[in-house]
Amino acid sequence: MSRYIIRRIIAVIPTIIGVTFVIFMFQRLIPGDPAVAMLGEHATEESIERLREQFGLNRPLFLDREALAEGDIEGFFDSQYVRYMKRLFVLDMGESIHRRIPVAETLGLRFPATIELAFLSMGIAIMVGIPVGIISAAKRNSAIDGVSMVGSLIGVSMPIFWLGLMLIMMFAVFLQWLPAGGRISPGIEIEPITNFYLIDTLITGNIEGFRDALEHIIMPAIALATIPMAIIARMTRSSMLDVLQEDYVRTARAKGLGRGMVLSKHALKNAALPVVTIIGLQMGTLLAGAVLTETIFSWPGIGRWVYDAILGRDYPVVQGGTLVIALVFVFVNFFVDIMYAVLDPRIRYD
Amino acid sequence: MTNITSEEIIETDYAIREHRSLWIDAWQRLISSKTALLGMFIVTVFVVSSVGAHFFWEYEPKKDLDYSLKLKPPTLVANEEVPSVHLFGTDKLGRDIFRRVVHGGWNSLRVGIVAVGISLILGGTIGLISGFYENMNMTSMELITLFGVTGFSLGLLSAWIAGQPIQAFLLAGLGVVAAAFPEFQKDKPTRMLIFAAAGGILLAVPALSVSKTTALICGLYGVLSGMLISRALDGNFFSSTMMRFMDIILSFPGYLLAIAIVAFLGPGLEKGMIAIGIVGIPVYARLTRSAVLSVIQKEYILAAQSVGEGHGRILFHHLMPNILSPVIVQTTMGLAAAILSAAALGFLGLGAIPPEPEWGAMLGDSYRYLASGAWWAVLFPGIAIMLSVLGFNLLGDGLRDALDPKLRT
Repeated sequence: MSRYIIRRIIAVIPTIIGVTFVIFMFQRLIPGDPAVAMLGEHATEESIERLREQFGLNRPLFLDREALAEGDIEGFFDSQYVRYMKRLFVLDMGESIHRRIPVAETLGLRFPATIELAFLSMGIAIMVGIPVGIISAAKRNSAIDGVSMVGSLIGVSMPIFWLGLMLIMMFAVFLQWLPAGGRISPGIEIEPITNFYLIDTLITGNIEGFRDALEHIIMPAIALATIPMAIIARMTRSSMLDVLQEDYVRTARAKGLGRGMVLSKHALKNAALPVVTIIGLQMGTLLAGAVLTETIFSWPGIGRWVYDAILGRDYPVVQGGTLVIALVFVFVNFFVDIMYAVLDPRIRYD
Repeated sequence: MTNITSEEIIETDYAIREHRSLWIDAWQRLISSKTALLGMFIVTVFVVSSVGAHFFWEYEPKKDLDYSLKLKPPTLVANEEVPSVHLFGTDKLGRDIFRRVVHGGWNSLRVGIVAVGISLILGGTIGLISGFYENMNMTSMELITLFGVTGFSLGLLSAWIAGQPIQAFLLAGLGVVAAAFPEFQKDKPTRMLIFAAAGGILLAVPALSVSKTTALICGLYGVLSGMLISRALDGNFFSSTMMRFMDIILSFPGYLLAIAIVAFLGPGLEKGMIAIGIVGIPVYARLTRSAVLSVIQKEYILAAQSVGEGHGRILFHHLMPNILSPVIVQTTMGLAAAILSAAALGFLGLGAIPPEPEWGAMLGDSYRYLASGAWWAVLFPGIAIMLSVLGFNLLGDGLRDALDPKLRT
């Protein structure tokens, strides 16, 4: 087991290097000069040059072959990419070109917002998806099964941003029950402890703040939960159906165990493996792919921030943000692989 | 049991069903499923309406503008305020939403087909070749190609450093030599030493004309490349390189990668197609590879090999037809996913360039007017996206059940 984990860790390293490389490449290849973007069209040549010097934008991308030709080996390696990697090793992601705030600082504020949203969505998705899947499997080919399976198919077919808009239209515009966007109402003070507003308000006993935070998060969370919910329900159903055909399930029933008992004790445990896998994979997507939901609900998370940065050519933000998202993604996938091996001892990885 | 009457023989004859091919069989199963039929119906309506509208219902988005009809709710009959009928209402520029929704289908369909085409062709080829050579010994010609291409790719870096294209060809040549003499000093350190030295010399000598330090760096690089080439590269090497590369693409969340690619290429429907297509490559590569791996150990492949059939023939005649069903299913589902991604890009303002009608872009145009109560401008394009995606998903589900009865639950 530990050998398998070590091997997986080693296999992750080239992926991470590749990820940093691709992130770096993309941002440099995007047309448009960040120095110009920063100073405006009317900036003087000198100030642009100075800025490029300051951010190292005047260095070559990867390797400086001219320096090498002149015999300067150190200069050969002194490129934007190498500087970027060096800074990365000390966890320095630079600062935003536009706002002059360290990327890591903004990340610390925005990442919890995305995580809070993602966790709540996943919670909703699991709490609805798994029971629906189990009931569908238990009452196979019944009306309930048909409705929930068509429903889940509609769920995966819906653009989440459109669902978000429909929710806003319904609950914020027509019924006016919930706020249309944002994370908290202005005027409500929250003591930052974990930066998860729901938890912070609970710890400090700020009931009004908790209600307000909950009202803000519930719509985006439901919108974001739709797709994973549908996928989890479908996966639970098909996995349960497989297991319910097994001999030990029939034996358990023949011994006189109740239906509910067999479903929960015998079938569910053995059907859990693919469901856990799919939950892990969906978690990665949720954490990372909240760009659209965050846009619609003006949620101050990472996705929206990175999207704005791409359009604004804010290189350090794009690099830092995308890197964190991609690393979370890689890490979650890695974790799912390990879980798979832990949960199913039959699978042998040598 | 021993006495079989003549009636029984006749009965057994009836029990033998007429011969049907695999595909007709699958078709029968497909049309016997209600949900698959529904999916097929939706897809047909969607395809016919968008193709029909594109060719027979003239629409010039650039001239479509009427401020007097700005944001009017749906009307079924003409009245004084709105003199024309607008089934789905009008948008912020007074354009008929029904017309734009129907015409938008053409764009979505195009994005879907082109994007899936890109992913399928590139990803499918990568997966097919990777899976095939993972389990198949390469012929000497194929090995020469593999070594040559590897050498060439390795040589590119050094060629760039020294500014001498010839270096890439020199290293490709070294690769060909290594492939041509696989037995030479096999599994001995001398082989590695010889090739490392050859690589170093081949790259360092031409670089001398640039400068000594350049020659030094190129030489060191050549030594490393030579060491790699001296090893017995095979299909596994190719496959794992490719799959690792796919893993890297997959480790980016799809939307972000697509946004980044579009930001690089510039906005536009065509760029969107390319972005969505690239993002989908690893999915098809992995699927095709695993499909190949599941059939390549089968007896009929072994039989084909043992009667001396060439690799190309095994690939195209025996392997491809047998991995087709998962690929067909994935392609149908992929169309749905591509339409969704295109809508998302359009919504973020990175897809179709306005005033071109596209569902996602229409949503992006109108969602700010939601607060003032213009629900129709958001509702109908969204329903169009959902229905078309649902149609492809239903069809894909049905196809999976039809093509692979073993998986049927």
